Amino acid sequence: MRFAALSSRHTDLLGEISNIGVGHAATALAQMIGRDVGMRVPSVTITPFSRVPDAVGGSERPVAAVYCQLMGNITGHILLVFPRDSADRLMKALLGDRAPSGDEWTEQGASSIREVGNILASAYLNALGSMLDMTLIPSVPSIVYDMAGAIVDALLIEQGLTDDLALLIETEFFGKDQKISGHFFLLPDPESVSTVISRLGVAPG
Amino acid sequence: MKKIKVGLAEIRLARAPDSLISYGFGSCLGIAIVDPYAKVGGLAHALLASQPGGNPSGNPLKYVDGAIEAMLAALAEAGCARGALLAKTAGGAHMFEAVPRSGGSNIGERNARAAREKLEQLGIPLVAEDVGGNYGRTIELEPDDGTLVVRSLRMGIKRI
Repeated sequence: MRFAALSSRHTDLLGEISNIGVGHAATALAQMIGRDVGMRVPSVTITPFSRVPDAVGGSERPVAAVYCQLMGNITGHILLVFPRDSADRLMKALLGDRAPSGDEWTEQGASSIREVGNILASAYLNALGSMLDMTLIPSVPSIVYDMAGAIVDALLIEQGLTDDLALLIETEFFGKDQKISGHFFLLPDPESVSTVISRLGVAPG
Repeated sequence: MKKIKVGLAEIRLARAPDSLISYGFGSCLGIAIVDPYAKVGGLAHALLASQPGGNPSGNPLKYVDGAIEAMLAALAEAGCARGALLAKTAGGAHMFEAVPRSGGSNIGERNARAAREKLEQLGIPLVAEDVGGNYGRTIELEPDDGTLVVRSLRMGIKRI
């Protein structure tokens, strides 16, 4: 089953679960940066993966992206995208004075974003897994800082995702004075979509 | 003077002073073929190396070999002389080091190699390439003098 076959009831349900998952992720982020983190209720849409660059601000937009494979009872892919300015703010919050400045993109900065990605993905998958009574694990994440279009292009091809639809969960995290936006893309393999739907106990269609 | 956008798995032609631009090449390969006398050029944005044998289905422009063949046909129709044509390629990166490669060499490398082989087989000189690495590129072809402008976040602007 593909996302295209999902009814609005299914997407509503996935949205509700995602809301809880992203809530867990925000709590994890707050603990990591040691201050309160608020969160916008995520919007959930289903979009062709090839349109992901448009969703994050265009093909040439510089972004930091964390990618991991989804393992366990459900297989698929997860991509987290932070626009450049948000990635910079995140690094500042995590590393303080040691954060890279200007155009630098240091190993340490990259590794801190990868860690954030890892924690957000794990928190989200934990929530989803406990709701579905399944074990969901992310693989070791990769981080890339580049043009959004090139990142999506590489994943499209290397993972054979050409015509697939992605569940796009868009949210913003914010501290007291600043906003950190992030985009979260979940791409379960087609068989896994059916697994999720049957676990949710909603008749297909 | 227009900038004509070339999308995924598309080819487009332009005549100077217009130019052709295609964004966000990761492992995809950009193939530019120009006739410097007619000042006409074509740009392709191909995803994979070679069309599957047997019963090819789907869009041939997705593939490096199919895109080159289609571009030559389009350039001939636009009045370009086959003997005048020159080719340049850019792209074919390997973006995610940690992502397992499917079968030996990575897709970016295979795309670049497929272009070299196909162009040689067709007798079109490949005069410049900017391929490989682990970073994305945006490519613009100026048919006026056949310059290929390659932009990337990490390497800045290269003109080949």
